[in-house]
Amino acid sequence: MSGPRTLEPVYVDDFCFSLGHRKLSVEDTVAAGHTRTDAAGLLDAGFRYHHVCDDEQSSYDLAAAAVAGMGDRSSGADAIVYATCLPLNGNVGDVARFDRSKDVKHLMDYPASRLQADLGLDDAIVLGLNQQACTSMLGSIRVARGLLATEPDMRRVLCVTADRFPPGALYEQAYNLISDGAAACTVTKDVGAYKLLAAHQVTNGAMVTADDDETVGAYFSYTHRLVTELLAKVGRTAGEVDWVVPQNTNAKAWQILARLLAIPADRVLCPSMPDVAHVISGDNVVNLAYLTASNVVQPGQVVLLVMAGYGMNWQGVLLEKA
Amino acid sequence: MNPVPRRSDSGSSGGENGEGLVLVTGANGYLGRELSRRFLADGMEVVLAVRSSTARSDVAAALGPLAERARFVAVDLTEAEPFAAVHPALRRRITSVVHGAAVTRFNVDREVAALVNVEGTRHALALARSCPELESFTLVGTVYSSGLQVGRIAEEAHSDEAGFANFYEWSKWEAEQLVLAQADELPWRVLRVATVAADDDTGAVTHHNAFHETLKLCFYGLLALLPGCGDTPLYFVTRAFAVDAVRRLTDPACPGGIYHVAHDRSASITLDQLLDIAFEEFESVDDFRKKRILRPLLADEESFDLMVDGVTGFAGSLVTQALANVAPFARQLYVTKDLDNSRLRSALHDYEAPDAASLVRATCHQLVATRWGRRAAHV
Repeated sequence: MSGPRTLEPVYVDDFCFSLGHRKLSVEDTVAAGHTRTDAAGLLDAGFRYHHVCDDEQSSYDLAAAAVAGMGDRSSGADAIVYATCLPLNGNVGDVARFDRSKDVKHLMDYPASRLQADLGLDDAIVLGLNQQACTSMLGSIRVARGLLATEPDMRRVLCVTADRFPPGALYEQAYNLISDGAAACTVTKDVGAYKLLAAHQVTNGAMVTADDDETVGAYFSYTHRLVTELLAKVGRTAGEVDWVVPQNTNAKAWQILARLLAIPADRVLCPSMPDVAHVISGDNVVNLAYLTASNVVQPGQVVLLVMAGYGMNWQGVLLEKA
Repeated sequence: MNPVPRRSDSGSSGGENGEGLVLVTGANGYLGRELSRRFLADGMEVVLAVRSSTARSDVAAALGPLAERARFVAVDLTEAEPFAAVHPALRRRITSVVHGAAVTRFNVDREVAALVNVEGTRHALALARSCPELESFTLVGTVYSSGLQVGRIAEEAHSDEAGFANFYEWSKWEAEQLVLAQADELPWRVLRVATVAADDDTGAVTHHNAFHETLKLCFYGLLALLPGCGDTPLYFVTRAFAVDAVRRLTDPACPGGIYHVAHDRSASITLDQLLDIAFEEFESVDDFRKKRILRPLLADEESFDLMVDGVTGFAGSLVTQALANVAPFARQLYVTKDLDNSRLRSALHDYEAPDAASLVRATCHQLVATRWGRRAAHV
C-alpha cells in the first residue's frame, strides 16, 4: 500500500518585467481621452503613471525585453508557457496580410515559438495560454508546476506574459488604469527565491459577459472564496499569511478584502502601483520584482498572490520565501 | 404614562360595531390604504386625508365601491396649515385620528424628515386637540424609533442616547416625543410597526421597501457585501397582521399607550437565516443558478463603510446605487434588539406568533416568481 504522493518541491524565481516605452501621467492620459474615469478618481484609486507602447513596440517586444532582464537564467528552460490576457496578443502575424490573402497562417505566428527560437531554447516545448485574462501569469505558474510534477526530465519552465492594447483602445478596464507590459519568471525544481506551496483557480464561465457592475458584485465574494479555498488546500489560515501581493487595483478594494479575510491591511503590498498601474496579468511578478529589490520579504514568510480577471477567473498562488 | 380617556369608557363610539368618525392620514400609503379599507368595511365613517388629487384617485380606485362611503380631504403635511380643509363642523364629529402619514424612506434627509414626520405629527396632534369628541389619537410609528438601542426594547418611551441609523428613525422618535409630551391631554396610542415583509402570509408583495430592494440586489449579483452580523435578529410582520392590529388597537375600548405591532424575538429570524432562505429560493431559478452568484459576504461596519466611501472608484452606477440603498439602514444590522410585545399580546387575545422562516420563504418565492413585480406570479 502506498501513501499519498509527495510532490518534489517547486520554486518560483527570477522576476522580471518590461513596460511600454511611453510613460504618461494620469492627468495626461485622462486629458487625451483614453479613460472613462476622471483624473481625480484614478489618482484617488492610487494610480499616478502608466506605460504605453509606442507604435513600433509589439507585445512580443515586451516579452523579449522582460525575459532579457533575467539574463542567462532563462537558458536551459525545458518549457515556455507564454500567457496573454488578450488573445490577439497570442499572434504576432500581420492581420492585414490575412485580410489580403485569406490565409490563416498569418493568424498563427505564435510569439512563444519566436521566443523559443530567439532564446535558442531548442529543446524547450512551448505552450500558449490566452483565455485567463489578468490571471494568466498565475495560471502559467500553475501549468508549469504541473509540467514539472509530471515530466521527470523537466527542471525549469519559463513563464512569460505580455500584452499591449491595440491602437485606439481605452487604457482603463474595470476602473483600473492599464499599462502595456510583460512579466517573466521561472518555475523550477532547483531551490529558488520562493517555494510554491499551492495554486488555486476558480472560474465562473457564466459570467464571461459580465458587465462592470456584475464584475464588482462578484469580485469580493469570489476573491474571498478563492483565498479561503487556496489556504485550505495546504491547511493554512489567513493568519499565517505574512504578505499579500495582489493585482494593482483600487487601493480601497484590498483594504476591504483584507478586513474580510482578517489580514492586516498593512500586509498588502503593491509597491509598483503608482508607477506602473495595472500591468494586466503581470502585476504580481512586477510587485515581486520590486519587493525583491527592497528585500521586504524575509525567509520563511508566506506570500499570497491573488488576481481576478475576465472570464470570469480568479487565481491565487501561495509562496514561501526560501 | 397613561393615556387620558376623553369620554367615558361606556360611551365608546369608535368600536368595531361601526360607530364613530375616524380620520386617517396617509390614507394613500401602503398601510394606510388597507387600514382605511378595514375601517370602511367595519362600517365606520371615514375621512381619508390624502396629499393630492392623484393620491385621492389612487385610493378611490384601490378601495372600489367602499370609496363611495369615504370622505376625502386634501392634507399636505409640508404646508403651514395642513389640516385647514378639515373644517370645524367635521372636527366636532371626529372620534378617532390615525396619523399614519410619514416619509418612510431610510435615506430621507433631516429637513424633510423634520418637516413631514415631526412637524406633521405636531399638526396632527393640534388637529386632535381640536376635536371635542376625540376618543383615540394613534401615531403609527416604527420599532426603529428605538434607534441603535440594543437589548430589550420595551413598549415604553425610548431615550435617544443610543443614536439613530438614519433621519427616518430619528424623526419617528421625535414624533413619539411630541405625542408623549401631550399624554395628559389626549387619549393617545403609539403603535410601533415592524418591517412589513409581505401583504399577507402568502408572501405576496405589492409594495417594495428596503428589505425587498436589498434582496433584489442580491438576486442580480450587485451586492458583494452586506452590512451586519449573521445573528442579528430581524423582525417582520405582514401588512394583514399590521392592519388588523392597528385597527383593533385604535379602538377606544383598548387601553392606550405604546404597543409593538411586531412579534417578539422567538418569532424573529436572523440575518444568516434570511440569507440562507433567500438563496435557497434564488437557486430555484435556472438563470440565477447558472450565474453561480455567491451569497454576499457579511462585512463589519468599517469594511462596509470603506465600500460605501470607495465604491465610486471601482464600481458603476448600479452598484453605487445599490449601496446607497442599503447604507442608510446598515447600522441596524449590527444591533441585536430583543423586542417585547407583551402589551400587544394582552390586547390581542387571539394573538399567535407566526413562523418567521415560512413568511420569509414565501416572500422570497413571490419576489423571485414576479421578478420583484415585473412579471405576473405563477403560484
